[in-house]
Amino acid sequence: MNQSINRTPRFRVLSDDQIERIYFAALDVLERAGAMVFQEDALELFRQSDAVVDTNNRVRVPASMVEQAIKFYPRKITLQGRDGVRSLHIQKDSASFGTGSDLPFCYDRKTGERRRTTLADIRDAARLCDVLPNIDFFMSHGIASDAPLPETYDRHQFLSMLEGCTKPMVVTSVDGEGLEDLWRMACVVQGGEDEFRLNPLFVAYIEPISPLKNDRTAVEKLLFAAEKGIPAMYTPCPSAGATAPSTIAGMLVQSLAETLLAVVLCHLKKPGMPLIMGGVTTVLDMRKSTYSYGAPELSLASAANTDISKWLNLLMFSTGGCTDAKIVDEQAAAEMTTSLFYASLSGASLIHDVGYIDSGTNASLEALVLNDEIIGMCRQFCKGINTEKEYLALDLIDEQGPGGEYFTTDHTYEHWREWFLPKLQDRSDWETWVANGSKSMTDRVNERTQHLLDTHETEPIPEDLHKAIKEIVDAADARHAG
Amino acid sequence: MTMTFDMKEIVNGVIKGKIDEVKALAEQALSEGISPEEISSQGLVVGMDAVGERWKNDEMFMPEVLRSAKAMSSGMDVIRDQLAEKDNQVGTMVIGTVEGDLHDIGKDLAAMMFEGAGYKVVNLGVDQPSEVFIEAVKEHRPQLLGISALLTTTMPRMGDIINELKEAGIREQVTVIIGGAPVTDDFSESIGADIYAPNARSGVERAREFFKKKSAESGSN
Repeated sequence: MNQSINRTPRFRVLSDDQIERIYFAALDVLERAGAMVFQEDALELFRQSDAVVDTNNRVRVPASMVEQAIKFYPRKITLQGRDGVRSLHIQKDSASFGTGSDLPFCYDRKTGERRRTTLADIRDAARLCDVLPNIDFFMSHGIASDAPLPETYDRHQFLSMLEGCTKPMVVTSVDGEGLEDLWRMACVVQGGEDEFRLNPLFVAYIEPISPLKNDRTAVEKLLFAAEKGIPAMYTPCPSAGATAPSTIAGMLVQSLAETLLAVVLCHLKKPGMPLIMGGVTTVLDMRKSTYSYGAPELSLASAANTDISKWLNLLMFSTGGCTDAKIVDEQAAAEMTTSLFYASLSGASLIHDVGYIDSGTNASLEALVLNDEIIGMCRQFCKGINTEKEYLALDLIDEQGPGGEYFTTDHTYEHWREWFLPKLQDRSDWETWVANGSKSMTDRVNERTQHLLDTHETEPIPEDLHKAIKEIVDAADARHAG
Repeated sequence: MTMTFDMKEIVNGVIKGKIDEVKALAEQALSEGISPEEISSQGLVVGMDAVGERWKNDEMFMPEVLRSAKAMSSGMDVIRDQLAEKDNQVGTMVIGTVEGDLHDIGKDLAAMMFEGAGYKVVNLGVDQPSEVFIEAVKEHRPQLLGISALLTTTMPRMGDIINELKEAGIREQVTVIIGGAPVTDDFSESIGADIYAPNARSGVERAREFFKKKSAESGSN
């Protein structure tokens, strides 16, 4: 029988025609406004191509170069954590969830205060993500304030991440040299450069500066990633009304132009590198002048960006599970749920910034635990509805008949476990809830967070590997000391 | 015949919800000369207590618990007559939904849970007038009378039944347990019921506590 079946819900915010308009406009931006590139190797690559480089480091790219380059990128990347499992399948309509990176502050659960993030905090976040079932990849969550040197903090941070978490990662680095060290550290874990290419441990997070600027460190990283075949994402972070047009369509055009410049540059360096499209596209709050992580426009623009990515056959690094709220409260729950649901429904490949509070400045472990539950709900929704014979249950309905019951049927016994089983949400009756201490969701989130931190021990890195990794960190410190 | 029977098999059979297996095991135990009291207290009840504990800890869930209750009940059916002959220690429960109310899943769930606790349950069904409850109490002489109502409009019927029990002079011979979504402890008290069960799990627990307290009180007198 030939019929069409929806196994997952379908959700789109842009039509093909709208996507074409945005794409053609982005091509136009690269021919007219172009983009600034502040890195000599990249400028030289552009000079030797059909691109036009002027004396102000401005690069303008003909549409034909973009159209050629864009065909060369993989539609699937699979990451392998240090647990040896190829667990992260980056592909369209297969959402994976993870934290964000480099939050300067963290919420101290003992004092209730906001304070600077330390390496120990990053290890705690890593441990938590190691055990939370709905977190698929780990980003640092915080930025370490207690590394010995600012130039090499990324190596120390990555070591703490590796110690705490065995899952695949997305990493940030100081510059090209930093990324090279992180890659060497990861190659130790994966068993060499060749193995890393087939089973990469991480994706390198890289971002341009909106509007249309590419600084030295970002471009260095991009070129190094292209050379070594390291998966990388180039993620514009425009804020509508400030660093991008205030209209969502205008922001999407500019964001796409910023991405497409990287698409061309990586192609000039080495065709076929595993590049992922990104974009944290949101609004600047015009009352408080903050970059909003909880705005509905973030969800809408991100879903649109995912539509564009699928049309272009690129993978999408999207955003969800984040909030502008200062603590994990009702605002946080509402905003995190909204962005997670729409990012899931849009079919983005990776969804990051799970657990960001305070508009991307503060890290909360409680937010991670709460989000783990929300992601569980999103995943359940995205499973859709099975309409095969067994699931229509026609014989069963007939057997039980009017006034029958389904509690004790084999069918119920066999299928009820397909439901979502909450860990934190309370569904008990009033009396049971009172008998168990009348706890709020906040109480339960706090308890589970503390319980997981008290009990979860991550599988340690084998001693010889740890030593080899530490040597890379120490060598970087020695190079930069004094 | 040697006494090789392992009571743990009955315990595990109940926990795993093996309905036919528990029945066969109870028969085997009887044939090997094990007393019905022992089969109940060392086997079936131990299994069901473990199930209750696991249910409370979210390690077992309704569909599995109900299977275990059925398994327990299938074992009880084998030994019930012999137990009853001896000292009538096994409880009987009459349960039903009041007149004007067609809801039965909550009431049936409670019935299954009480069967799982070893009770012989007489299920009157839904939409039953007071007379049917009164007659059933007279006929079956149950320890427990369960009355269910899901609607605020039919809830007062539960009080009517209790009043009619009094008028018939049989209120003292039965313990009345009530349940249903709009019911509360306060309401239960106001109509003179003995036990209020807010959910399927607590009904059996609260009944057990009630009888324990009652026997302790009569013992101290």
